[in-house]
Amino acid sequence: MIELKIGQHIEMEYGGTAKVLKILGSGGQGIVYLVEFNKMKWALKWYDIDKIKHPKEFRRNIQNNIADGAPSNRFLWPKYLTKELSDGSFGYLMELKPDSFDSFVDILNTYKLVVDPFTGHAVKKQVRFSNLYAMVTAVINIVNAFRQLHRDGKSYQDLNDGGFFINVDTGAVLVCDCDNIAPEGSNFGIGGKPGYMAPEIVRGIAKPDVQTDKYSLAVVLFRLLFRGDPMEGERVVKDVCLTETSELKHYGQNALFVYDPDDASNRPVIGIHDNVIRFWRLYPDYIKDAFIRSFTVGLHDPNKRIIENEWQKLFIRLRAEIIQCDCGRTNFTTMFGKNDDRSYQCPKCGKIFPTMSFSNHDFRFPIYAGRRFFECEIDTESNEFLNLAGEIVKNKNNPNVLGIRNCSEKTWKVKMPDGKFYNVSSGKGFQMWDGLEIDFGNVTAKVD
Amino acid sequence: MNENVMNFNYNGDNPLDSTGVPRKNLVVFFLIDTSASMKGKKMGELNTIMEELIPEISHIGGADTDIKIAVLTFSDDIQWMYSIPMSAESFEWNRLNASGVTNMGKAFEELASKLSMSSFLDNPSMSLAPVIFLMTDGFPSDEYKKGLAMLKSNSWFNYAVKTALGMGEDADDKMLAEFTGSPDTVVHAYTGNQLAKLIKTVAVTASQIGSETYSDGINGISGKSKQELLGEQLQKLTAEEDDDFTFSTGW
Repeated sequence: MIELKIGQHIEMEYGGTAKVLKILGSGGQGIVYLVEFNKMKWALKWYDIDKIKHPKEFRRNIQNNIADGAPSNRFLWPKYLTKELSDGSFGYLMELKPDSFDSFVDILNTYKLVVDPFTGHAVKKQVRFSNLYAMVTAVINIVNAFRQLHRDGKSYQDLNDGGFFINVDTGAVLVCDCDNIAPEGSNFGIGGKPGYMAPEIVRGIAKPDVQTDKYSLAVVLFRLLFRGDPMEGERVVKDVCLTETSELKHYGQNALFVYDPDDASNRPVIGIHDNVIRFWRLYPDYIKDAFIRSFTVGLHDPNKRIIENEWQKLFIRLRAEIIQCDCGRTNFTTMFGKNDDRSYQCPKCGKIFPTMSFSNHDFRFPIYAGRRFFECEIDTESNEFLNLAGEIVKNKNNPNVLGIRNCSEKTWKVKMPDGKFYNVSSGKGFQMWDGLEIDFGNVTAKVD
Repeated sequence: MNENVMNFNYNGDNPLDSTGVPRKNLVVFFLIDTSASMKGKKMGELNTIMEELIPEISHIGGADTDIKIAVLTFSDDIQWMYSIPMSAESFEWNRLNASGVTNMGKAFEELASKLSMSSFLDNPSMSLAPVIFLMTDGFPSDEYKKGLAMLKSNSWFNYAVKTALGMGEDADDKMLAEFTGSPDTVVHAYTGNQLAKLIKTVAVTASQIGSETYSDGINGISGKSKQELLGEQLQKLTAEEDDDFTFSTGW
């Protein structure tokens, strides 16, 4: 391929030039450069045109995507095309990812390589979610991004670990590599990445579409939570060398989920798949069942795959079922003791957590200082998974007394011990008591 | 605390406390001719490009594949740069010097002895078939057939993605094709510029193909082996020629 030179000017489709500043990275289809265009910094993806099967159609598809615009601000969407060079090669500009985002690859590896500016040597720097809220929020954001994309009538086609940037402190997600995204039914040559491709693509009987995206999405979520490959267990590692034949077998025709309830022959192996073994037992059944469904009946029947909206509900519940104990232990309610239907207990320090109910959820939310409510939990219409709507806080004068602060924009109606409802506006707080009721608008909550 | 809660095993249950996902191993072998005829410009180009190439190779694997590098040099003696394959992320290139004759056969025998699960390919998770890249500027001084036969009876070698680069006028492409299994996967550099470009293109392309299986993508398994895919891509990539000084006249 023809690499661009630093300092080179690339003509843009509608006039002006982008000046190449440096290489940011390279991938299977080309190289990404940092460029300056219109006095702003952008990322330029420049294609290795030999690797694009149908360059004309491919370019036209990007053009259409630019015209349609991104499904939401969770996508690093193509913004401007360059002109074609004489050999037909071209690229497109997209926004740069902010520094606060790490690549999903680095998260899976648990480290990134950072070049020390003084010595020039690359040193390993740890990359991990700083809290459990952030990790589950990232899952919700990924699922929601694909829900938005599919609702736009498009499929991503090449869903894999290289497709996301994540803020490990907040769980914010940016979907990148949006250039293979195509309207349902179209494909411009991409097949996908081994390990993420749906079995029917591996077997050569289907092309990437919304249904195969759903399979890849389940793989991405499994890897994010369980830190391993859903199909790599005892049966697979016996092959020692992963050849074409063994890959076709283990990821295509005879793919077998490591926790298939009806076939234990491909279980994770101690010493290799320790993450998967350790994490699988931590999650509640409704999460495990969704993965079991995705990777058993959903494996060969695309219509049985979990739809994004269902994933979204399951993970909003999972996030609501996180308990952060004063003793430092943070985990899902499944990993706390259950004394009765209405309270949990920390196995480490013995602290008891009462719960509250919400009219739009059929499970109970544990109550503890630091517990956060998000907009999507108190407003059935909301797709805001990051926006804080409320928080349980300790009273400044008496830390044993808990209250709720309204962090949303709306005014809530709150039932006080005198039995009357009072308005609590944005920024204000109120004491929690046994019998408390909150009317958020289209959702109500009760401590009962 | 009730009994249920007391008996709770909460050791090692932090969902955030993970180690990296298990990665598949891909060893990229470089077999490099360091005989006297390599002295000067060829060795200079080779050393420089190898230093630049390794960080680039390390990114190819992503979170799925740990790319390791093993470098075997051959002249009067054969020598591994490091005694075990080293992760491309931490590999430091030791600059090579040239002297002596071309004991390529011995290098083949040595490689065959290391292509085994009990030696260089001992990943507890899975390994991908290795990538093997041979670079030479001449004909073997020793009897290479025996070493080549040993390789051909090694199944890691048979599954491996093999490629060879002949440098200058004297390299014997026919013999190199015997090594890789097909003329398509043998490339030839006559000029310094070509050498630098080809080492990089060949190593990156072979590593990319080596680290994936369905490189041809769309039709699932393409029906072609990795070796055939590499041949196809190298033929396409080397179709673009450019001119500068040639090895035979330059030095």
